[in-house]
Amino acid sequence: MTRTMKMSRTSQTLSRGALHWIAVHALAVAASLFFVLPFLFVFLTAVMSDDQALTRDLWPRTWEWGNFGTVWETPGFLTWWRNTLLYAGLGTVLAVCSSLPVAYALAKFRFRGRNVMMMVVIAAMMLPPQVIIVPMYLFWAKQLDLAGTLWPLIIPFAFGNAFTIFLLRQFLLTIPKEYTEAARIDGCGELRTLLRVVVPMAKPAIAASALFHFFYCWNDYFGPQIYASENPGAWTLSYGLESFKGAHQTDWNLTMAATVLVMAPVIVVFFFAQKAFVEGVTLTGVKG
Amino acid sequence: MSPVASTVTPAAVPPQLRAKRRKSALRTLGFLSPWLIGFSVFFAYPLIATVYFSFMKYDGFADPTWVGLRNWKYVFQDSPFFWPALTNTAWLILVMVTLRVAFGLGIGLLITKIKTGAGVFRTLFYLPYLAPPVAATMAFVFLLNPGTGPTNTILAKLGLGTPDWFNDAAWSKPSLTLLALWGIGDLMVIFMASLLDVPKEQYEAAELDGANAWHRFRYVTLPNISPIVLFAVITGMIATMQYYTEPLVAGKVASGVIGGSGQQFEPGYPDKSTLTMPQVIYNLGFQRFDTGAACVVALVLFTLAMVCTGILMRRRSGFMSAED
Amino acid sequence: MRRNRLAIAAAAASIAVLASACTGSGGSAASDDPNATTTLTFWHGWSSPGEVAAIEKNIAAFEKKRPNIKVKVVKGITGDKLNQALRTGGSQAPDVVSSFTTDNVGRFCTSGALADLGPFLDKAGIDPDTTFLPQMAKYTEHDGTRCTVPLLGDAYGLYYNKDAFNEAGIKEPPKTLSEFDKIAEKLTKTKGDGYERLGFMPTYQGYETTVEHYGAQFGVTYFDADGKSNTAKDPAVKAMFSWQKNLVEKLGGFRKLDRYRTSLGDEWGPKHPFHTGQVAMQLDGEWRGKMAADADLDFEVGAAPFPVPDDQVDDYGKGYLSGTILGIANTSKKQNAAWELVRYLSTDTDAVVSFANDIHNVPSTTAALKSPKLNSDPVYRTFVDIAQHPKSSHAPSSVNGGAFLLTLQDYGVAYEKGREKDLDAALRKNDAQVDKDNEQAQAG
Repeated sequence: MTRTMKMSRTSQTLSRGALHWIAVHALAVAASLFFVLPFLFVFLTAVMSDDQALTRDLWPRTWEWGNFGTVWETPGFLTWWRNTLLYAGLGTVLAVCSSLPVAYALAKFRFRGRNVMMMVVIAAMMLPPQVIIVPMYLFWAKQLDLAGTLWPLIIPFAFGNAFTIFLLRQFLLTIPKEYTEAARIDGCGELRTLLRVVVPMAKPAIAASALFHFFYCWNDYFGPQIYASENPGAWTLSYGLESFKGAHQTDWNLTMAATVLVMAPVIVVFFFAQKAFVEGVTLTGVKG
Repeated sequence: MSPVASTVTPAAVPPQLRAKRRKSALRTLGFLSPWLIGFSVFFAYPLIATVYFSFMKYDGFADPTWVGLRNWKYVFQDSPFFWPALTNTAWLILVMVTLRVAFGLGIGLLITKIKTGAGVFRTLFYLPYLAPPVAATMAFVFLLNPGTGPTNTILAKLGLGTPDWFNDAAWSKPSLTLLALWGIGDLMVIFMASLLDVPKEQYEAAELDGANAWHRFRYVTLPNISPIVLFAVITGMIATMQYYTEPLVAGKVASGVIGGSGQQFEPGYPDKSTLTMPQVIYNLGFQRFDTGAACVVALVLFTLAMVCTGILMRRRSGFMSAED
Repeated sequence: MRRNRLAIAAAAASIAVLASACTGSGGSAASDDPNATTTLTFWHGWSSPGEVAAIEKNIAAFEKKRPNIKVKVVKGITGDKLNQALRTGGSQAPDVVSSFTTDNVGRFCTSGALADLGPFLDKAGIDPDTTFLPQMAKYTEHDGTRCTVPLLGDAYGLYYNKDAFNEAGIKEPPKTLSEFDKIAEKLTKTKGDGYERLGFMPTYQGYETTVEHYGAQFGVTYFDADGKSNTAKDPAVKAMFSWQKNLVEKLGGFRKLDRYRTSLGDEWGPKHPFHTGQVAMQLDGEWRGKMAADADLDFEVGAAPFPVPDDQVDDYGKGYLSGTILGIANTSKKQNAAWELVRYLSTDTDAVVSFANDIHNVPSTTAALKSPKLNSDPVYRTFVDIAQHPKSSHAPSSVNGGAFLLTLQDYGVAYEKGREKDLDAALRKNDAQVDKDNEQAQAG
């Protein structure tokens, strides 16, 4: 008697568990469709023929892999790649290098006005870039003659980037004081402490902030539109992609093929650096 | 704000200590110097210049001339773009931000419940967030193309209505919302992490009290993650105020006015329904040669963004706190 | 520490720069020697391979004639980019610019973005009013300041699918709009919720069917003698809006037409709906004839002036006129050399004729129009005739660029969609808005 009762209770919880499992996973599959289908349709259109791309067909009749080659060989496409890499690469190196000492000082030094300073960093981080664009454009274009290049976008990163400072500081706060103090007692100067002790410990945060910055630059459309639009030799992928549809007189298949080629590297990098990413996002919102 | 200032008067400090202190002040200054310069040149100066230009007539050629409040009057009273941009922003904050937070929380909850293949699902849900905005927007304009897009093709096959999406003023903002929900990855991760941080004991205690799933969510989960919800709402509001790339590219691609024959694209297609403040700044400052009016809109945007930031800083002291 | 020193140096430099900020443009400085060896930067908007090759051929001929001047050509420049670059000058900025849109002539001339060409023309003994087509001479100046010259022109007319006409038993292209409406309906074949073939795409977003292009057929004036917007008082505007709205309704309504539009190919691409036979008639510029010929279409293309309102049938043959404009950036330090290029491109008869033939545009000088070397293709000649029609017109230049046209078009779209029901009220709102915008654009 007692045995059977026990058994039925287990099977009851078991079936409740199974039901729960099914419900959760059915929901997850449904959600996946919402996230994956757009990618799928973009890809399927990218390999359609010119004639088919303007029809209501969902599945390609012939697989035109050559569309990717056509896009790749579009005059300018390689230049856009090079410019984007320059903007994102150099911008990221500069931003991380210049932000790290600032973040360290804000996290570990005691000085008057530190909180005010932190508030200013957060305010700058939240400042929409469009607010100051008019004087900034006049400054770079009229005074420094750098319109038509990406330098107005890259150079400011040599002077600290608010978001990078914020992110690094949030992480540096979590490093126990004992480590830095031990280094100091050993006679290390602050700069050496930062480079020898803090940087190795902060590697994940540095990687995360570098990735964020890299993608920010990679995705940026507003900046290149303002500063580089007048010189096709300085266009980036994001800006060039938009002009692709008009200037190169194409239809949806080639436009979608170009879209795939712009999305692909981001996704590849993500697969290699997934962990750093997720940690980074968490750091912006949760810790602190 | 925590008091950091020293209460010791300089006279009482022995010379040795004073030298040390000066050295440490110099050191602090050295570490902070990149940002001090960056802040002055790329933040403080242009802000002051924006205020200055907002009272000027300046077309980029002739020297600026003082026009008093004329630009302000024009923007608030006469500009055909300012109020539509502001109401669109309000709509997007109410609908898009709310839905994004709710959807992000839902997806975050779902991920924490998945037992099999959680890693795969997490990656799939996160990926769209990474798609470059221009690419993602062009993809969505194509997917939602009224005539031949896959979405309407499928809807028609299912016998459902087929809206005009980005080509209809009533549907353009919902279409942008759909695009924003697709890229939910950032919120999903934040919510996921905060959900995992909720102490297990609280759930167990609630379960002992006979609380059902909804009650557990309402009385345990929500209070624990409410700071994160607030963070998501406020940062979402600020992001909405500076919403630029997606509505502009969507309008350009959907209208068909893009590059080509010297036609000028005035943002907001269709019927100003996708107009946002940054687009107004671009249109006034870089298409209509009206620097002064552009700066007025910029200052409105600045004020609104800073009010939101202020709320965030007050409510989340964790943002500011430092070890002492 | 090195970085910090560098940073401080950079800061010092930027402060020095800031101190000198807010000083605007200098005056024009045409003191360079046009015979010295120099390199000019020339911007143009053409982007399709054939047109790019044609302008480059033209430039090469100039370089051969003036070996001391080299020209660096930048293609595919849109109006926005031009506006931006002219404001800032600098080493990347152009010396000579051309633009497809004439909308900004008013702005360029009043603001001094482009140099005044008057002195150059005087010195060279060129009278613009007799050298260029009268209409084109008019839209290249503003309030007596000539800061641009025409570089070929565009005339707008009607293209029609002759096979479709024959099939429907239509002998002649329509002369009046009521004939046109009937033909458009007759040529339209619906299929499901769309069309197998549409007679004509009348919506304002349908490529070239814009307010100003229709406006020329009706003789719209836009501004009164005092420079105030007068669309509510001008009966031509009301007639145009009503005719267009009526045609939209006859052909299936805005929503159905607009949805069809989104399934059509790009205006500049090979899938243009007129090329594919999806639309049987098209309001378009003379370049379409060459594009259609190059595309080797499987039907015969006909061309005629666009029809006029029934009460203006005497003026049949007129059309909208526009064209590419050519100017010298005021920031250029080589204005005399730049003038040599401008003079060659805009007034050398051989250059104008061969460029017009190559890109199938209407020549902009009277001498070139008479040249025997000019293309004799009848489709092309239709547009040359439209360009010479005395009633052909162009939208007026305004200090606020083309903003007044965009505003009017917005009201047009609202009206065709049915969002604005009261046409008179809509036009009054348009007048108020345009006047306010113009007032804001006036010098302070």
